[in-house]
Amino acid sequence: MNKPQEEQLSLLPDNTALKQQRLPAYRLQLSASKVLSGFFATGAFCLGMGIILLLSAKSIKEVEINYTNICASCAKLRENAINFDKECSCSIPFYLPEIMQGNVYMYYKLYGFHQNLYHYILSRSNTQLMGKNIKDVEKCGSFQKTSNGTPICPCGAIANSMFNDTIILLYNLNSSIYIKVPMLSRGITWWTDKYIKFQNPKSIDLPSAFEGTAKPPYWRKPIYELDEDDPENSGFVNEDFIVWMRTAAFPTFKKLYRRLHRIQYFTEGLPAGNYSFNIAYNFPVTRFQGEKSVVLSTLTWSGGSSLFLGLVYTVTGAVTWLASFSMMAIHLMLAKRKMFFPNYKVKL
Amino acid sequence: MFCSKKKPLEVKRIVKANDREYNEKFQYADNRIHTSKYNILTFLPINLFEQFQRVANAYFLFLLILQLIPEISSLTWFTTIVPLVLVITMTAVKDATDDYFRYKSDKQVNNRQSEVLIDSKLQIEKWMNVKVGDIIKLENNQFVAADLLLLSSSEPYGLCYIETAELDGETNLKVRHALSVTSELGEDIRRLANFDGPDTKLMQNSGKTKFKRTSIDRLMNTLVLWIFGFLICLGIILAIGNSIWENQVGTQFRSFLFWNKEEKNLVFSGFLTFWSYIIILNTVVPISLYVSVEVIRLGHSYFINWDQKMYYSQKATPAAARTTTLNEELGQIEYVFSDKTGTLTQNIMTFKKCSINGRIYGEEHDDLGQKTDITKKKKPVDFSVNPQVDKTFQFFDHSLMESIKLGDSKVHEFLRLLALCHTVMSEENSAGQLIYQVQSPDEGALVTAARNFGFIFKSRTPETITIEELGTLVTYQLLAFLDFNNVRKRMSVIVRNPEGQIKLYSKGADTILFEKLHLSNEDLLALTSDHISEFAGEGLRTLAIAYRDLDDKYFNEWNKMLEDANAATDEREERIAGLYEEIERDLMLLGATAVEDKLQEGVIETVLSLSLANIKIWVLTGDKQETAINIGYACNMLTDDMNEVFIIAGNTAMEVREELRKAKENLFGQNRSSSNGHIVPEKKQQLELDSIVEETVTGDYALVINGHSLAHALESDVKNDLLELACLCKTVVCCRVTPLQKAQVVELVKKHRNAVTLAIGDGANDVSMIKCAHIGIGISGQEGLQAVLASDYSFAQFRYLQRLLLVHGRWSYFRMCKFLCYFFYKNFAFTLVHFWFGFFCGFSAQTVYDQWFITLFNIVYTSLPVLAMGIFDQDVSDRNSMDFPQLYKPGQLNLLFNKRRFFICMAHGIYTSLALFFIPYGAFYRDTGEDGQHVADYQSFAVTMATSLVIVVSVQIALDTSYWTVINHVFIWGSVATYFSILFTMHSNVMFGVFPNQFPFVGNARNSLTQKCIWLVILLTTVVSVMPVLAFRFLKVDLFPTLSDQIRQRQKAQRKARPLHSRRPQTRRSSSRRSGYAFAHQEGYGELITSGKNMRAKNPPPTSGLEKTLSNSTSWIENFCKKTTDTMSSFNQNKTVKL
Repeated sequence: MNKPQEEQLSLLPDNTALKQQRLPAYRLQLSASKVLSGFFATGAFCLGMGIILLLSAKSIKEVEINYTNICASCAKLRENAINFDKECSCSIPFYLPEIMQGNVYMYYKLYGFHQNLYHYILSRSNTQLMGKNIKDVEKCGSFQKTSNGTPICPCGAIANSMFNDTIILLYNLNSSIYIKVPMLSRGITWWTDKYIKFQNPKSIDLPSAFEGTAKPPYWRKPIYELDEDDPENSGFVNEDFIVWMRTAAFPTFKKLYRRLHRIQYFTEGLPAGNYSFNIAYNFPVTRFQGEKSVVLSTLTWSGGSSLFLGLVYTVTGAVTWLASFSMMAIHLMLAKRKMFFPNYKVKL
Repeated sequence: MFCSKKKPLEVKRIVKANDREYNEKFQYADNRIHTSKYNILTFLPINLFEQFQRVANAYFLFLLILQLIPEISSLTWFTTIVPLVLVITMTAVKDATDDYFRYKSDKQVNNRQSEVLIDSKLQIEKWMNVKVGDIIKLENNQFVAADLLLLSSSEPYGLCYIETAELDGETNLKVRHALSVTSELGEDIRRLANFDGPDTKLMQNSGKTKFKRTSIDRLMNTLVLWIFGFLICLGIILAIGNSIWENQVGTQFRSFLFWNKEEKNLVFSGFLTFWSYIIILNTVVPISLYVSVEVIRLGHSYFINWDQKMYYSQKATPAAARTTTLNEELGQIEYVFSDKTGTLTQNIMTFKKCSINGRIYGEEHDDLGQKTDITKKKKPVDFSVNPQVDKTFQFFDHSLMESIKLGDSKVHEFLRLLALCHTVMSEENSAGQLIYQVQSPDEGALVTAARNFGFIFKSRTPETITIEELGTLVTYQLLAFLDFNNVRKRMSVIVRNPEGQIKLYSKGADTILFEKLHLSNEDLLALTSDHISEFAGEGLRTLAIAYRDLDDKYFNEWNKMLEDANAATDEREERIAGLYEEIERDLMLLGATAVEDKLQEGVIETVLSLSLANIKIWVLTGDKQETAINIGYACNMLTDDMNEVFIIAGNTAMEVREELRKAKENLFGQNRSSSNGHIVPEKKQQLELDSIVEETVTGDYALVINGHSLAHALESDVKNDLLELACLCKTVVCCRVTPLQKAQVVELVKKHRNAVTLAIGDGANDVSMIKCAHIGIGISGQEGLQAVLASDYSFAQFRYLQRLLLVHGRWSYFRMCKFLCYFFYKNFAFTLVHFWFGFFCGFSAQTVYDQWFITLFNIVYTSLPVLAMGIFDQDVSDRNSMDFPQLYKPGQLNLLFNKRRFFICMAHGIYTSLALFFIPYGAFYRDTGEDGQHVADYQSFAVTMATSLVIVVSVQIALDTSYWTVINHVFIWGSVATYFSILFTMHSNVMFGVFPNQFPFVGNARNSLTQKCIWLVILLTTVVSVMPVLAFRFLKVDLFPTLSDQIRQRQKAQRKARPLHSRRPQTRRSSSRRSGYAFAHQEGYGELITSGKNMRAKNPPPTSGLEKTLSNSTSWIENFCKKTTDTMSSFNQNKTVKL
């Protein structure tokens, strides 16, 4: 091998830390002190967090009234699709034993409604909803166009199946006078939804903006009449509509409907007393064996946290501590054994 | 004759020499070596075709097609196509580079120059353009790149010496004769190209290169099949679920929704759901698995190439991973099959010691009279007074030189014998230096030693030998040459010195020669015998040296009888042998020589270390039994501590069977008696480990088997006996084996032991074994290239095997196993949430995550950290890997990744997916955000799950990574950072504005990830997923620490003050007595010498000038054409080139 000198040198691999696998490195070692202290700390954190969450979940006041069967006559009426135009309302009185302090939120809650079906989720047109092209109904599956070919607006199964009960909360001020509890129907959506994802098409007024489109078959009113009192809240940017369009992950879900406007009698929240829900019963849940209820709830620092999270945190914390104690016991026992039997170590 | 597979058996070849037109009719292959696969045009179609032949790629293509069916599609097209295209591009680039290098090396070989006779003129032609039938002129030291027929040579009698280093790595010269009819044709070597290109014996013998797969590969394929079965089960469960759901809820719900679709058939709906879920759940076997595995292996291969500690500076040869797909198998080797010459030994013989008249020369004695090993520090004997010295020769004992100067007659006689009794040919080169052409390196060493001590062999004729004795030329008459053969194990010459005395000089195996001594030698014999034992104990090859004075009368009588015998027609051989016996007796012992068959550096340490790592080393050599055993002892594979060394040398099947049976009986018998004795605790542990694999016996045994016996033993019914016996032995030496037998032995072990095998060798005779073994290693940096070309790994020195296996192999295996465990875990955790979600979304094949997340999860968010771990992770340092060879055992037992491990990973993944899904589910079920809004919307749920998943798997990889380099830091933190930046980008207003349909998650990240409760959920998920694993691992290390764990703990302690590690002392075995005759010798040289066939009439300097050749080239060509065209028609080229 009589190669030139330079070539010989070039064949010698570089003496770099990377190539020689000598990169400076931290060797991760699960030492007893590290693991045990980690376990103790985690356990403490989880336990603490769990207790805090449990306490705050306890402090939440919540009223849930399932009105599927309370308004049985309406439910019966809605079972037949032909009656969809007929109005039906019912009133549900209830007693609030304690004041609901602070912000109070009103939700509607549906049981057994699958907003998470694959084809259901896809059945919407984002380009239409953002006001870009209201005639783009391509992705809306069975709800693209009416039988005479007019594009549906808003198209798709989600929009078509929108929750359309109207729920009004009345407060029994004294024996006979019921006053309407002031509720805000705005500020119940994300900013991005309201200003980016949902936009009315540009035009002089709403009706003309939606010209040439038809309402979804299941709707009573066209999109631009969703909120007759407030044209700002009508069309695609109607917040009830936006809330509905944000599909739920599970078949049982609650969606924010209104929030308490804290004025007059209600600056502190909802005072204890007699209340009544006045419900225009339009949404036919019995047809798919679903149920619906209305929920009033307050919040805590972490939102409307449920018992579940607190419970799991507490259990996790407890188990972690238990585990760390037993691990420590095992470790100490082994250390003792090692002291008596030093041979246990590496044999060389 | 060999034939190619397609054509019918080629019985004969018709070739007209130097007639290209005629030869073209037969369409013989051209001489181009063509190993590259593609050219620029065919690359794309062929490569794509090949890639889609791989099951994995075809499977993903199938999925892609499924996805295009709208009824089934549950993922958008890009989720599959992006990874698929990425994977295929990467593989294609790799294939293209590989092929380019093949093309380059082909080109180099093809463009070597040769001189070919075209149009009656010698023309320079590239070897690739040489055609069958061409006549080629070769000069001294030229490469030959075809099978050639020797027509004639410049040497007398048409002899030529060829070196077959490129074929078998042996550098000693082999003689080939030209046919007598063609031999008078000219002077330089001229040859007729007979077989070309793919038809050459070598290419045909090389066999089809089998595509090697590692056992991890096979396991992985099995697992992928299992996973696929699992996938189908999940699909079926979900499909049934779908049918039931549709029946009970779906139809009502649909009618409520005014879903105008035609009434669905329930079974058909289930069927579609099945396929939809197959698409969604296919990420359990992500396409990136195979690519990642390749990338990791490639990285490991580069580490091998880059390793300075495997770089051999003397030959400027770095180690090379020629195959990049087998690395982790290097960590699982159980059997090493090693060639001897050139691999374990350097094939260099050096004269080390001698015993003359009862005194040992060659040992150093220090002041205290203690023997010390000869070291380089001592000053060698200065031979410069002698002008003819061979400067490479070194001797450290000055007393021999003194004895020569003092005129010790025995010493003189000893050296004279060495200078006279041999088959070496001498030659003077242009500088006037003596060059010895040696037929066996042993003899070369002896003659060179004599030369340096002043007894210089100068030249020989058939009748005389001329030597220079301490400055005076003396010519001896060579009266008889008693050649070597295997039975005699000795050779003698009978010479008459100028004074007229007739002497017989003999050298040979001690066992043989000692029986021939005169009775007066008894004392000397005892002493010399001790010395020989001592030499042999040091692993030296010994020869006894003796002489006999003959009187004229006796010799003449004997000589007459010999002539009669030679003339006899019947029983000639026997009569001659008898006569030889007759004269070689009453010898006077002179002493003994000890030649070192130089081991490669570090062989002993490597062998020791590998056997500590429970790797069994088998030596497969073409050498003789004695040589092989000798080397076995020299490199500590055989020791005197061994309970028994079984030698199987039977010549018939019956004998072999009987010998095997006896050996086995012996082995089990001894075992039974010794097993109730002492058992070392360590051994016991090892026994437990091994007990599943094989029956174990206590005590060390070794098996030596020779080629003849092996041929019988490899027959089907004895095969198992052989295997069983061999596997119980610590060392197995197979000698005199053919290349094919080497492969058969490897195949036997490979097939029946189910063990990972490695073959290492340097010559073409090792090629078949290298190709057959799971891993083939070629010793590079030597002349021969064939072994390297066939090998998977190559390096210059046997000792690098230790580092390759114990460091690189072990790490590769360790890393690959960790990688696979993590990878399967990760993808189970990632994918199975879809299954859980199926129960909540009406089995409608709705994915949990955003489509983009599914696309990017495996290739962007989680690929790099695990790759970094797979490439860089180290449990213990390389130094500790070398110092504790026991660390290698988990690989052999396949402990780090097997089916059980896989199920653990799978369970881990399933557990994580449960935590990932059900904790957010439970929390979101009733929860609302801080602003009172619901958090349980699908998109927020998807983002929460995705974020939890990325964090959980990142924490997991952080725990799995035991060697945190900068790169790991960058990749792990970088991946998490990348996830968040991509998440926020994709959820940004701008992206939605431009592509509203592709990025519908606008604003989700910022709205969800600012909620406290979502982070609480993510945190809880992480804790619940990781803590049990952490606890489990901690307890495992604490309760059942593996050796690796223990060393890691020590390593930590050591780092502050590292004590100098004392290397294991070199253990040399104590002396033992063996027959040491070990000539790499062939019979028949005596005749060549006495007939003078291999000698030139005069001694012309070797001609190499072109002009001279050209001037007489026409004449020999004419002669040649006249004489030989018809005799050339068919040839057994075995005569031309013998492998």
